[in-house]
Amino acid sequence: MVTRFALLKELSALVPDDVLVLTSIGNNSGFWGQLKDRETNLFHLTMGMCSSTALGLSLALPNRKVIALDSDGNLTLNLGVLGTIGNEAPRNLTIVVMDNGNYLGSHKDEPGMPTATSGKMNLEAVAKGCGIENACTIEDVAAFRERIQSALANPGPHFIRARIEALDKDGPRKTKRVPDPRENKYQFAGYIQRTEGVEILGSGLGGG
Amino acid sequence: MKPEKAQLVVNGLKEAGVDFAAGVPDAQFIEVYKMLAEDRDIRYVGTANEAEAVGVGFGAWFGGKKPALILATSGLLVATYHLARINLLHEVPVLVVIPYRGDIGDPRWLGLYRKTTEPGLNAMDIPYRVVSRPADVVRSIKECNESARAWLKPVAVLLNEEALW
Repeated sequence: MVTRFALLKELSALVPDDVLVLTSIGNNSGFWGQLKDRETNLFHLTMGMCSSTALGLSLALPNRKVIALDSDGNLTLNLGVLGTIGNEAPRNLTIVVMDNGNYLGSHKDEPGMPTATSGKMNLEAVAKGCGIENACTIEDVAAFRERIQSALANPGPHFIRARIEALDKDGPRKTKRVPDPRENKYQFAGYIQRTEGVEILGSGLGGG
Repeated sequence: MKPEKAQLVVNGLKEAGVDFAAGVPDAQFIEVYKMLAEDRDIRYVGTANEAEAVGVGFGAWFGGKKPALILATSGLLVATYHLARINLLHEVPVLVVIPYRGDIGDPRWLGLYRKTTEPGLNAMDIPYRVVSRPADVVRSIKECNESARAWLKPVAVLLNEEALW
């Protein structure tokens, strides 16, 4: 089986700068922030909030590719979102689920308590059952590369369940500070305002 | 709910510039949801639960939309963690419109929500206005949304009594 870091490293080489990447809390945010330091990342999406945020963003900006880097524990907390994605069917949305089968948390030396996916739950089957036809499971870098390239080139929604090692034994060296939620908001919204010609942050009078 | 009162809510959202809405249908507010689902100016996304709706609205804001969440009083409880998070950590504006069950004038006694709605909003530091008169619905929705966007935080409108029933 492959590691989260190996897949994120591969993704960092594949994803164009104008693709918006949203990351769930924990190591998806921590690792991605080290690998791809750029203003088109939205970090720290808490339990149950990663794919739903990506859905809202993809509907608001239908001409912009959006990738959600979600995880099994995060997604299963709000699993109904897959039904909403299936019905809304945004063509520009790709959900990548780092499925390690446990509630890892960060900086742990042994796997956490199991998620439902370590038992009988198959997220690819769930996604397909929700009407997301482009759903798959990958277990190595080559298959992941192929699926990401396909997702970037073809209409979605796409759902990639990545079966990864239970523990993050490898990872990037921490050289950069991942922006906090407010700082990240201004960076990300500022980029969208500048490139999409929409007003997000308003007049700024709220600060006094 | 009478259709003319539901229309006031939709008119208020339009006056406020709201162009995106998410939520889970509530029996007392069903006419509003139906109107939103058919409206051409407001993109309505029906979600599986209200916490999901918070994420969808939050994401839509980053895409330049002016989002509103249409939440039942029970749904506010479901949404609480994500709503608190976008208010206190991210500081992102979303208008929250709530048919206020359990307040004075509600034909059914739903005291649970009287105990949870306003205290819950206060605990999350989400400002709100309680609206009782139909004549105040449009103006209040507009003003609450203006405040949300200026302050970069969610603001709620609670519609009760004769404003609804």
